[in-house]
Amino acid sequence: MTRSWRPSLLMLPALALLAVVFLWPLLQVAWLSSQASSVLTGLTPVANNGANWQRLLADGRFWSDARFTLRFALVSVALELLLGLGMALLMHRPGQGRGLLRAAVLLPWALPGTVLALGWRWIFNDPYGPLNTLIQSLGGQPYGFLATPSTTWLFVVLADVWKSTPFVALLLLAGLQSIPAELEECLRLEGAGGLQILRRLTLPLLTPWITLAMIFRLAQALGLFDLVQVLTRGGPAGSTESLALYAYLQAMRFLDFGYTATVVLATFLLLALLTLLGLAMLRRRPGQPASQEPGLP
Amino acid sequence: MLTLLAGLLLSVLLTAAPSALRAGSVTPAAVTVRVLMPSPFVDATAPLVAAFNREHQDLRISVDRGPLDTESISDLASGSLLLGSAPYDLLMMDVSWTARYVAAGWLDPLEELLGGDPQSAMEPGARLGNAFGGHLWRMPLTGDTGLLYWRTDLMERAPRTTEELERIAARLQREGKVRWGYVWQGRQFEGFSCVMLEVLHAFGGRWWEPDGGRAGGHTALDSKAAIAAASWLEGLIQRGISPAAVADFAENEALQVFAAGDAAFLRNWPYAWQEIAKGGGPVVGKVGVSTVVSAPGVRSGGTLGTWGLSLLHGSAHPHEAAKVIRWFTGPETQKALVLDQGYAPTWSALYDDPELQRRHPLLAVQREALRQGPLVRPLTPLYAQLSDLLQRHGNGMLSGAAAPAQAMAASQHDSAVLVASASGGAIRGATTKAQATAQGPTTWVAQAQR
Repeated sequence: MTRSWRPSLLMLPALALLAVVFLWPLLQVAWLSSQASSVLTGLTPVANNGANWQRLLADGRFWSDARFTLRFALVSVALELLLGLGMALLMHRPGQGRGLLRAAVLLPWALPGTVLALGWRWIFNDPYGPLNTLIQSLGGQPYGFLATPSTTWLFVVLADVWKSTPFVALLLLAGLQSIPAELEECLRLEGAGGLQILRRLTLPLLTPWITLAMIFRLAQALGLFDLVQVLTRGGPAGSTESLALYAYLQAMRFLDFGYTATVVLATFLLLALLTLLGLAMLRRRPGQPASQEPGLP
Repeated sequence: MLTLLAGLLLSVLLTAAPSALRAGSVTPAAVTVRVLMPSPFVDATAPLVAAFNREHQDLRISVDRGPLDTESISDLASGSLLLGSAPYDLLMMDVSWTARYVAAGWLDPLEELLGGDPQSAMEPGARLGNAFGGHLWRMPLTGDTGLLYWRTDLMERAPRTTEELERIAARLQREGKVRWGYVWQGRQFEGFSCVMLEVLHAFGGRWWEPDGGRAGGHTALDSKAAIAAASWLEGLIQRGISPAAVADFAENEALQVFAAGDAAFLRNWPYAWQEIAKGGGPVVGKVGVSTVVSAPGVRSGGTLGTWGLSLLHGSAHPHEAAKVIRWFTGPETQKALVLDQGYAPTWSALYDDPELQRRHPLLAVQREALRQGPLVRPLTPLYAQLSDLLQRHGNGMLSGAAAPAQAMAASQHDSAVLVASASGGAIRGATTKAQATAQGPTTWVAQAQR
């Protein structure tokens, strides 16, 4: 008897903590999303029969922000994983100046997001920024990096990739270092080339690390806020407004808390759905690819 | 949401901690009035505040430094006001926040505390935008309006009409004297709304038509005049008078181009005068200032961009705070700020002061701008949303995503939906409940209905 309830009892503090910091705010947000609470109600919550949710479904801005946020997250995380892997492989190779290289790589990651965004804002400045100075010295016309709705999101991606690739690279480097060197030696003795080693040994054993980096980065990228707040303010023409920035505007600037709660909750549900889908896709591939290769440990 | 809350908490802690330390050095009998201001104002008034604190034993002013950007300081203030009782007594407010802050119940009216008509000796233009729903909520410290900066070495006198401006600009560009004709603020931010308001009125259009409705009015952004105004602005880029980059220009980016000698005209606020002089660039001594231009046959003005002090609801010592308002916005402080900083004052007597006139030539133009009837942004609690809509669609037009007629129709449509939501069934119910509890925040609703 005592044995059966003891585990539950021991889990209670953790569960209580989760309930306080996660479940309770979530329930409160859910309740607020069913209320009108804005300057028009003197910030007093008043039930409005799901009007917030109707508004959300018809709110083109929410959906276009959702599309931008997803596009940004997928493209930037994909690029960061690719480049991060390359950097990790380079840093893993023994050679002179490896320590210096590792320290230098960390610099962009160590910069505060807003400082970095200000820096990029200057780099993209039209017409005096370094990039446009270069374009003009080559005889071209200055380009509106931050004033062209169809392409500005790419430069937001660029700024993010520059900052976050080192993080991915370091994580993957840790993964690379956990792979025993004997395995590689073994493959070499059997006549495997560099590419073969990468494909058959390194990547399969690195998969958990890649997954970890991807989850970390996706969670961060989907919450995109400081970079766009400083670099573009969601412009031009709202083309780089993230869901987090939209929620922030609704709350802090428009003081519309009922609708903010709706936007926040909808964002949460959307992201939870995507995460579940992603996890399901990862699980569907049975086992590690490494185990499918006979000849390999 | 959680990070947002954590951020708010942190910002409150950060702002609260230093003043708690400061409070320790004050004699127990002294009342300390805390003021939150944008950082440029903190720097500009620091010597004056220090002198005030030296002269007064019973009343101290403690200034909290807020961010530089107009919208960021509102976000910071909103954050602490939302947590309940604000740590500040006074807030330096932009003219465009008044209605929203009143509707949120964050301000206390000033007329009784200050007595009489405290603004009666101010320039009429500077008195605008401070009262709402029959109460005075704010005392202006500056009398800023939008102005036109031009190059005295390139033309005899400032243009008076939009056509003249464009003609001169095009000629100077053709002759290779300047790279661009006219630079202004087209970025998706509040400053662009100020430009839009000026241009709308310059073509005889209106942004906001006050009415008896719950939002206090409705928008008129798809009128013929409004579309003509938007088309002119967009055409400036199409015809190469303004660089395509204006779509990402705030005040400083535009100032940079003008101060580098790359443009014939600049639209900016009074602060730019001192900035250009301080910068020491190629145009120093070659800059004239004038009121903004309008289409032939239309009389218009610049957007009112004043800053002023408001009393936050829940202040523990409103009478002392009112004293500080009177001193801070009074003629003596303003005179010092004109001389040291080149701020535009609000008191008529300062515009008449020969010493000030001699030392600060901008005053004459500034008074003309205030007398011409400066433009007040829509006085409604929904202003922040309306402005955001116009910025998005207007910026889309400037960056080539939509034609002017299309952009203005979209702005009008979205604004109308927003205004209509203010009279929706659910919110009407809300009013009844709020009115039943007779809370301050809904005062404006009751007044708008009268």
